[in-house]
Amino acid sequence: MNYPVWELLTMGGGSLIALIAIPHVYISHLAVGGGLFLWLTDIKGFRENSPEIHGYLKKHIWFFLLLTMVFGGITGVGIWFIISLVSPAATAILIHNFVFGWAIEWVFFLGEIVALLIYHYQYDKMSRKARLRISFLYFLFAWLSMVVIVGIIDFMLTPGDWLETREFWDGFFNPTYWPSLFFRSFIAFTFAGLFGYVTTLFLEDRAFRQRMVSYCTKWLLYPLLGLIPSAAWYFYAVPPEVREVAFEMNKLTGMWVNYLVAATVLIFLLGIVMSNSKSLSIQRLAVVVLVPVGLMWMGGFEYIREISRKPYVLFGYMYSNSILKADAARINEEGVLKLAKWSAIDHVTDDNLVEAGREVFNLECMACHTVGGLQNDIVPKVEPYGFQGLVAQISGQGKILGYMPPFLGTSEEKLALVSFIWNGILGRELPARESPYTGGSRQGPGPPPEKTEIPPFDPDSSEYVLLVWNDQGMHSVSDCDEFFSFLPPGNTLQAQLIRRDPLPERITSGVTISYKAPAQHANPARHTRFWDFADKLYGAKLEQNAGLKGNAAAGGTFKFDEEWERYEAKSIPLLPYRDDGKFDSYPVIDIEARDSANGELLASTKVVAPVSTEADCWRCHGGEPRKLGAGISDETATNILKVHDYHEGTQLYQQAIDGNPQRCQSCHADPALGAEGTEGVLNFSAAMHGWHANYMGELKDEACYYCHPVARGGVTRYFRGVHGLAFEKGKLVCGNCHGDMNEMAVSLLNAEKDKPRAAELARHIQIGSMPKDSVHGRTPWLDLPDCFACHVDFGQPGPGARAFNNYNPTTRELYRNYKDNGLINCIACHGSPHAVYPVLNPHDTYRDVLQPMQYQGEPYAIGANVKNCTVCHIQEMENPIHHENIQRMVRNKGGFEKLGY
Amino acid sequence: MDPAKLIPYAEVLPAPWWILEFLGMLTLTLHLLFINVVLGGSLILLFRRLSGGAKSPEQNQPDIFARKIPGTLAVAVTFGVAPLLFVQVLYGQFFYSSSVLLAKYWIMVIPAVIIAYYSAYVTSRKLYTTGALATLTLTITCALLLYVAFTFQNNISMMLQPEEWTRYFDNRGGTLLNTDDPVLWPRYLHFITASIAVAGLFSAIVWDFRRKKGVEGAGEKINKGLGIFGVATMIQIVLGFWLLISLPREVMMLYMGQNMLYTTTLFAAIILAIAATMSAVLKRLWPTVILLVLTVVTMIVMRTLLRTGYLEQYFRIEDVAMDPQYGIFSLFLVIFVAGLVILYLMFKWAFGDGEEARQ
Repeated sequence: MNYPVWELLTMGGGSLIALIAIPHVYISHLAVGGGLFLWLTDIKGFRENSPEIHGYLKKHIWFFLLLTMVFGGITGVGIWFIISLVSPAATAILIHNFVFGWAIEWVFFLGEIVALLIYHYQYDKMSRKARLRISFLYFLFAWLSMVVIVGIIDFMLTPGDWLETREFWDGFFNPTYWPSLFFRSFIAFTFAGLFGYVTTLFLEDRAFRQRMVSYCTKWLLYPLLGLIPSAAWYFYAVPPEVREVAFEMNKLTGMWVNYLVAATVLIFLLGIVMSNSKSLSIQRLAVVVLVPVGLMWMGGFEYIREISRKPYVLFGYMYSNSILKADAARINEEGVLKLAKWSAIDHVTDDNLVEAGREVFNLECMACHTVGGLQNDIVPKVEPYGFQGLVAQISGQGKILGYMPPFLGTSEEKLALVSFIWNGILGRELPARESPYTGGSRQGPGPPPEKTEIPPFDPDSSEYVLLVWNDQGMHSVSDCDEFFSFLPPGNTLQAQLIRRDPLPERITSGVTISYKAPAQHANPARHTRFWDFADKLYGAKLEQNAGLKGNAAAGGTFKFDEEWERYEAKSIPLLPYRDDGKFDSYPVIDIEARDSANGELLASTKVVAPVSTEADCWRCHGGEPRKLGAGISDETATNILKVHDYHEGTQLYQQAIDGNPQRCQSCHADPALGAEGTEGVLNFSAAMHGWHANYMGELKDEACYYCHPVARGGVTRYFRGVHGLAFEKGKLVCGNCHGDMNEMAVSLLNAEKDKPRAAELARHIQIGSMPKDSVHGRTPWLDLPDCFACHVDFGQPGPGARAFNNYNPTTRELYRNYKDNGLINCIACHGSPHAVYPVLNPHDTYRDVLQPMQYQGEPYAIGANVKNCTVCHIQEMENPIHHENIQRMVRNKGGFEKLGY
Repeated sequence: MDPAKLIPYAEVLPAPWWILEFLGMLTLTLHLLFINVVLGGSLILLFRRLSGGAKSPEQNQPDIFARKIPGTLAVAVTFGVAPLLFVQVLYGQFFYSSSVLLAKYWIMVIPAVIIAYYSAYVTSRKLYTTGALATLTLTITCALLLYVAFTFQNNISMMLQPEEWTRYFDNRGGTLLNTDDPVLWPRYLHFITASIAVAGLFSAIVWDFRRKKGVEGAGEKINKGLGIFGVATMIQIVLGFWLLISLPREVMMLYMGQNMLYTTTLFAAIILAIAATMSAVLKRLWPTVILLVLTVVTMIVMRTLLRTGYLEQYFRIEDVAMDPQYGIFSLFLVIFVAGLVILYLMFKWAFGDGEEARQ
């Protein structure tokens, strides 16, 4: 923001810092611990009156000076150089706030250098007293340097009260100061022993060498006793919320923690080897291993400490990309390009998207990410995503995964950044600017070919009315079964048979109701691998083309459901793929009711069994649709599993590759499938909406179309009927009933509050309509919008009516289950949810109103428009027994008025 | 693009600017004296090696430069840290920006110093035993130190000229230099020549100590050192004028009577330099040393004024907000004084009772 950005595309500033800092820190800890080693070893030499020890020490000092003073000293300045190049703004804050701390440290550093030079050059020329004073002062100065630097380093991780007071001492004696000082002191003493070995092994006298090796082993191992408890102290001094982000969310930390533990054990074991081995070559080998292990140990620790600070460089104050937390709101308002001093572009236009994106990338991303480099390479992180996925990733940054700073800037700048990543980094062609769901960019396979014939019905002679419907209005199928499954093929049809009479009768026995699918849809197994994996996914040994409840796709019979008093054919495994290669979401099923005793045909009708595999997962998760503009392709599925594995520590991708794909509901409970899930894991809908709302919440109502086959211009367009028409006209959105993406997520998560993940997912979701706590928790599929919330007393909804947060009290009041006073299902006369009569099917005008057209020659709800009471009652009726406003004319003709109705 | 818009916001100063400026100037003076000895000494020694000399100890004494340079470099680096700290406090927004513009060269200073350092140690140990190796490492030390000085000159030049910063937008890789600045070259040569002068004087001082210990032929060596100093300082005066006329007109005019402080300092520096040269010609060692130190102090003041003059159109240090940390500043002063006392004691213990140790 404030400073120019050194454009290090492949090398990465972090790598450069590590390259300089890790060796420095290793050596500088040696400088401290080694100082004590020099002093005490010198005393030991005098006490034992041992010229051998003093001879050894003289050589060791020379080695020590070359290593600590030259390499250690200059790399220390080097850290300062490199951080001021990579993070000048943060460096400026450290320098300005702690300038006198640094100045004090400089005095100690000066004393340290002078003492060491004197100790080396005057070693043989000083009295015992002077020499011990000098060596002690060397140690004291070195340790005091650490006393100062520790305060500033740990300030960056835990600034404590400084954030409020901006007082030097509050920042300096911060919450991790003391544990860190102890921890580092113990490391320093350990390293003194480690480097003591290096010079010891050059001693020629075997017995003396062995004695000194044992002496160094004490230095190496004894401090471990203090190191381990001080490490724990240090760890727990870090605030829990910081630990959560660093050690649970950030998957990069785990490897280093493991390494640190393993390396500590290794150092311990090698210390034992050193002490007990009599073989010089084994000892030398052990030291050759120990020195780099120590370096990696130090690097691992410093890396964890650094990464624990994410997303900040100065915790709670300045983000890793040098943007001040306090500036966030202003940057979102005015734009990062406008406020950044060193940007060639100050605002985004249609023509400079990629160039402007590069500036945003430099300002916000490059501090941590390289492009094609070693450290935190952005390329593999963005490659698996689609364009919209990158928009979502950047929108969701810093929310669930708190180790990334939030994207700051305007929505145009966000688009520019994604455009740069997409085109400038990945070299892909930029997609059209407009939303795929409002523009005409979707390529569907076109409407199904045939018009459906309306089945016959004679109002004078037909004895029965057969009402059949689909329970959901659309059944979605995940259709990537070799990778995972969350929705198997399985449409459910329900029926009521009514004997026509002035007082009609519901027929609940003695009849056989059967269904028959069109030939083009009778062989779903040709189009999906569901039957290859049904056993593994659903534990069901299925015959080809048979559904999970045993019903075949081609045809079968309904069963009477005593509880709900309706006939039902559950889970008919239909797919939208036809044998002729066409895509049809609305297969028309022939239904017949026959007398069970003699097989006489009582009634026949047709109904659509709507089904779709359309889900635009690929728009975010990369790849393409599986086929015909629908379905989850292998590439998309792979990306989804890998990202799940990465964040949740699962092995789903490998399991799938090994031929054991998993059903999502094996962990995530789901009433739709009757799945109990795993204790403590969010239910499927809560997990899906909760997670994705963090990334797609800004899309609000449009977010629905990315997953559900609703969109205008899509191959399915499942939202139809009177509500669907309003939707097509832009007068109503999914959110009017269900809440937008954020409200939906919060409503589902609020019902799962006992699970810790629910709070993590909900934390960053913002809703505008009401306080989050006021949103009633809802169980997916069982708590659904209450029709009467908008249609008060069956009336017309007022402008802007919303049903969100008003659910059916029990499952009896669900639209799909509710019955009127005459015990007829609402759904029987009004049509399926999302396809409430009159339904102008987007592909074939009458396909969704076959029964109204069959029985009353009008596309409206059965019995509508007063005169249609005759459908069941044979005569017109006066008493509104079904519901109060039945005896009036249709007020919403759902587009059929243009067809003369 | 208006370069003034590129200048980052200044951070709040933790103490009055003049305190920080004073500390910076004080430590920079020390740094320059030590670094001059290192660079100038290395160059003089290299010249002697290449012209066939310095192959065996003179008057049975180890070569001053070979022996003293590694330790002096350590002290010089240490004294360099402090002014670098204070320049960042006072002018960080300029200094960090220019550092980023030449980032690749700037960061290479670190390995350059490390290698120069180790090379100096090799030179020091192998001067009379493995001559070819010593010459090689000495060459490396000289080349790297010249590189470091050149990079510093570029950074300082770039930092003072925000109007050059817009070049960043064509080169963001940190490989910009400011070699088009007409001041850069005379200023660089001014520094190198100063190094030779100071190193010459330094050798005269060391030989003076040896003379006191009765080393024969020391007087000649002292004169030689003073000679180097005298010749180099005369060249310095010429280079100084070249530098002066290379300055942007409005800055130069400050020294030419437009601003009394600038003009007085310049004339004081010239007079002191001439006096030091005269004193060297007259072979008066200690007066020369005192005059040199005074010259360097004046030069440091002039250098600070130069920076103010350059930046005047963009920035005045007096305008930067200040939130003083007097408590910790006082603690620093106490520790600083205590540190100096301890340094004194360490030298006393180490060198004062040498006789006792030898017994």
